[in-house]
Amino acid sequence: MNQATLSRRRFCQLASSGLLLAPTLMRAQTPARLTAREVVARIRKNVGVPWRTPTADEFKIGDPDAPITGITTTFMSTLDLLQRSAAAGNNFVITHEPTFWSAADVVSDVRDDALFEHKVDFIQKNKMVVWRFHDHWHARRPDGIFAGWNRAMGWESYSVKGDNPFSIEYLIPETSFEELARQMQVRLKTSSMRLVGDPKLRVSRIANCGHYILQCMPALPKVDVLLVFEGREWEAAEYVRDAIAAGQKKALIQLPHEGGEEAGMDECARWLKTFINEVPIKFMPSSDPFWMPA
Amino acid sequence: MISSQELLDRIQKNVGVPWQSQRSDGFSDGVLLGNADTPVSGIVTTFTPTLEVLKQAVASGKNTIICREAPFYSRGERAPMFWRNSPAPPKEMTDNDPVCRAKREFISQNNLVIIRLVENWDARMTDSQLRGLARALGWEHFHTVANRDVDEYHPHNVHFQLPESSLSQLAQSVAQKLKIHGPRVIGRPESRVSKAALTHGLLLVADVERILREPVVDVVIAGDAVEWEAVPYFQDLVTAGRTKGLVLLGQEASEEPGCGEMATWLKGFIGEIPSEWLPAGEPFWTLPQGKETGQ
Repeated sequence: MNQATLSRRRFCQLASSGLLLAPTLMRAQTPARLTAREVVARIRKNVGVPWRTPTADEFKIGDPDAPITGITTTFMSTLDLLQRSAAAGNNFVITHEPTFWSAADVVSDVRDDALFEHKVDFIQKNKMVVWRFHDHWHARRPDGIFAGWNRAMGWESYSVKGDNPFSIEYLIPETSFEELARQMQVRLKTSSMRLVGDPKLRVSRIANCGHYILQCMPALPKVDVLLVFEGREWEAAEYVRDAIAAGQKKALIQLPHEGGEEAGMDECARWLKTFINEVPIKFMPSSDPFWMPA
Repeated sequence: MISSQELLDRIQKNVGVPWQSQRSDGFSDGVLLGNADTPVSGIVTTFTPTLEVLKQAVASGKNTIICREAPFYSRGERAPMFWRNSPAPPKEMTDNDPVCRAKREFISQNNLVIIRLVENWDARMTDSQLRGLARALGWEHFHTVANRDVDEYHPHNVHFQLPESSLSQLAQSVAQKLKIHGPRVIGRPESRVSKAALTHGLLLVADVERILREPVVDVVIAGDAVEWEAVPYFQDLVTAGRTKGLVLLGQEASEEPGCGEMATWLKGFIGEIPSEWLPAGEPFWTLPQGKETGQ
């Protein structure tokens, strides 16, 4: 049995079980070359934290035992990103975020969707393999994502060592809130940043609060500016707006998800090069999905 | 003067659908904060009860706020779809948080009553949130009603045939009409668009699938979308050439005009008490944008 003989139904069953991987029987009779599975084995050896189960860090599609031509690291394996990776000759994509539009890549929800079929067809025609690298890259110390973010911002020396294993608080040279936002917009190459607070507010203490109000509340009393990405509007934005209405001098920067984490996959490409040298490795940004009218 | 409870009773009598008083997840419609026996001095409708809206309500002598969002930055610990919501902050955290305390004190000192009205309002045959948004955009004349057996603003009658423009022009026009800074757009700015689907609130992948069953939808308008779900799904749709654009208005911007509709509706059966719509306003401002990048 090979991929061509699989019915669409069976194919989707495999996909929904997380096993949308071409049968290993199909492996080409070529001399041993680097495979995606071997790359992942090396990552597990080098990442420095025990491998957890269950984890999102799994093969999402493609044959892990086929030889790879090159590695692309990215934040989000969009169709556009996969096309660019294929054009660059890299058939192994290491993505931080999902491929099939849900946190756990639950394809049973989209199995009858023409777009799902279109994306799967593109990946298979181009003999691509997609593996997700999320949980363990975050679990590494320092957190691989925020190490990359600190580097992109040039803030490595501004991080304030606290209880958190990766630095979520920063003490930067005092500036205005608006100037801080401008710097961040340029350094993180983001085009959909949204702001709450007085542009002229003098700021120096900043907390990265991830996605959630649960992280914002303990942080706000300690800092001038909260930074969130991929957060819902009814959480941080309304919280900081009320803090200001209550007379506090506070501000919020809300970034797209890429603005908060994409630089961490650039960091990942640099790290991979320290123990993989058989194939080209390149970070390709999936980039801020949004633009805003001028 | 009627009490908050009597106000709720009248709303239940007039809402036109069987009242759902208890949901198994998240918050329920009804009094979220304050005493149900409080006499109603005046009613304010708004999307979200910000401290600023509460101050304006008190200044205009109104003590009862009817809204969609809850006052303390969470949709509740049992809110659906965990990954789209923060786990609700524990009570000890909100009890000690200076912002929550200031707001709670303001509410109790002024004897305010916060009433949530979402599920029952949204269950009506007329999607007043959609109608409010269409009116705010001046799009009523462009509405193409697919199913005439149901109300014109039935939740599934979301399609509008607009005069053709570029996606960029459409986004600019929407921003101007709603007076918002930050609509976020996916798609090529120069793409020509005319057939639009107008929605409000959070857009899920299943919503996009349903909306796009209608052939040739060029652009979808919504409040917000999850950035690992409907956002990349929509990016992929655009890359695959299946549709052209998505414009995200923001939660407040997309839902607020419907809260204006609610104030008008209330006046129809609560004549003796003053009521008004106080928009919370978009929470954000944005930096001047450079060149539109798009895909």
